[in-house]
Amino acid sequence: MAHDREVLRMIWEGQIGICFQADSEEIVGLRPEPFYLMVSRLSYLPLVTDKVRKYFTRYIAAEHQEGAVWFDFNGTPLRLHYPIGVLYDLLHPNEDGTPWCITIHFSKFPEETLVKLNTKELLESHYLACLKEADVLKHRGLVISAMQKKDHNQLWLGLINDKFDQFWAINRRLMEPYNDQESFKNIPVRFYYDDDFTYMQKLISPLNEAGQRKNLADLMAELSTPVRKAVGFRTHGICLPEETQLQWMSEHMSYPDNFLHLSVDYVSE
Amino acid sequence: MTDTEEPQAPTTTSTTSVAAPPDKDSAKICILLNATGNVPIIKKRTWTVDPNKTVSWIQKFIHKFLKLDANEQIFLYVNQTFAPAPDQIIKNLYECHGTNGKLVLYYCKNQAWG
Repeated sequence: MAHDREVLRMIWEGQIGICFQADSEEIVGLRPEPFYLMVSRLSYLPLVTDKVRKYFTRYIAAEHQEGAVWFDFNGTPLRLHYPIGVLYDLLHPNEDGTPWCITIHFSKFPEETLVKLNTKELLESHYLACLKEADVLKHRGLVISAMQKKDHNQLWLGLINDKFDQFWAINRRLMEPYNDQESFKNIPVRFYYDDDFTYMQKLISPLNEAGQRKNLADLMAELSTPVRKAVGFRTHGICLPEETQLQWMSEHMSYPDNFLHLSVDYVSE
Repeated sequence: MTDTEEPQAPTTTSTTSVAAPPDKDSAKICILLNATGNVPIIKKRTWTVDPNKTVSWIQKFIHKFLKLDANEQIFLYVNQTFAPAPDQIIKNLYECHGTNGKLVLYYCKNQAWG
């Protein structure tokens, strides 16, 4: 895996420029200027928006200042527990290079559509739950359960403090096949379709029946039905070549939650 | 959730009626509910659920079934391993973690498996 470390670096360093705007109904007095921020694709909105919240608070009516903060893009509430890169790629706002304009809200949290994972503590337990599920799929949960609490902490701190080496010192163990195995048992992957935030999960083996490594072309065939054909996959803002091996992808292109988040392009037959 | 009886849905979401077409996608999923810790036990352990129902729907159902106080919380775990996200759908959990045609869920009032 060592020779592909550059790929891990590039994925880690992916950023998105965001332009935060206030909700005009919550503003008292003068309308504030927008707040611009470069954020990691791999992080989560509640982890990177302390400064944004602080900046807008003084323009917000006093009764809302302590409210549960949430965000929307063009009226679509943004899921606080999805990685920012996943949200961005699903909503594919405008062309690259221009900041992504989203609105920050301090009131009327949409409890019906949005899970209230809005604090660092709640996000941390959600994140660990994702890691555990991923490890159940990859190694029957044997690697993560052999780790200590301090290892889990190191993963989380590495992620929230943007420390690549700290994070990968531990994550490396999760990203290797178990013992003498050549690959994972199954690939932790979530499939998204167009603008829909709900995803599909199913058991995807990295190997075919003959024991050979599967690539994305094999995965396309696996996801296609007589009426709908899978023709492409995207993640981290890039289209993936169809000869990419699933095992390699899982090791190198998973988000820090250890899942691959793939957008699937379909055509009707 | 249905079986011999049909409990009231805890949310305003309508329960699937018998009139729903029996196509493959809407085939119900069998879940097995296990109590853990000091939570009251639901005698009937096996239920069938609409595959697109969410984890939070199940949590609300258990909460209501056990007539818990509003300040009490229900935590849900898959196979004693991880807590699925509240908006995760039952179909995804069943596809990846189902065993012998069933999805095994554990519920409790306190956090159990991390």
